[in-house]
Amino acid sequence: MTKSASGSNNDDIIELGLPVNPAYVSAARLTASSIANRMGFNIEDIEDIKAAVSEACTYLIKQNSQNRQSMFQIKFILKNKFLEIFISAKKDPSSTDSDEDGLGILMIEALMDDVDLTTPDDTSIQIIMHKKLR
Amino acid sequence: MDFKLNSLYDNTKNIWNITIEGEIDIYNSSLLKEKLNALIQEHKTDLHINCDKLEYIDSTGLGSLVSVLKKVKQYNGNISLCQLKPNVAKVFKITELNKVFVIEGANND
Repeated sequence: MTKSASGSNNDDIIELGLPVNPAYVSAARLTASSIANRMGFNIEDIEDIKAAVSEACTYLIKQNSQNRQSMFQIKFILKNKFLEIFISAKKDPSSTDSDEDGLGILMIEALMDDVDLTTPDDTSIQIIMHKKLR
Repeated sequence: MDFKLNSLYDNTKNIWNITIEGEIDIYNSSLLKEKLNALIQEHKTDLHINCDKLEYIDSTGLGSLVSVLKKVKQYNGNISLCQLKPNVAKVFKITELNKVFVIEGANND
């Protein structure tokens, strides 16, 4: 694939904002799966991307358990050879309900090619991940 | 997306036969735990879960299953899962929970 899914030579960018609410994680999964499918990923990789996006959203929701009014952002950058995904949210400093068993992050690391968990500043948290087209 | 749980107690084998359909994630994983806990309160037996129609399970769903398994182990019972879809079998494998639960007939090769 030498062009983006839309046929242009530029990277297509798709952004999605969702309330920090468990009810909408399935919307993030559906979007991820649809984008990965359009880019030409195989079925196994589509499932991996879908699960990784879901786990990242779940992780951020757990970090914000007291703050259901806020939003989190998902940005998909459709590159020629890979999909780059940024998922970010405000971090609730009073929230203690984190990924206590570490399963979610462990799963993202196993499912994606590259994963980076960063805190750009004290009040926000971001997960960046890549999946290569094979 | 939600999930559906059907359960049938097998008198002769003394086992719960359960099917789970749909998707389990952070939205409904605590409900899964509640439903399974209610079953083991009724009959303290092994749980046999058919996952033929389980499309997706996330880390919180796995957490619910582990929590129920801990209670089942207290009376020396077990939880077995069968007919896992490849993507579901994969999450058990990468979390190594395939060594904790009895996994039968997974088509994940």
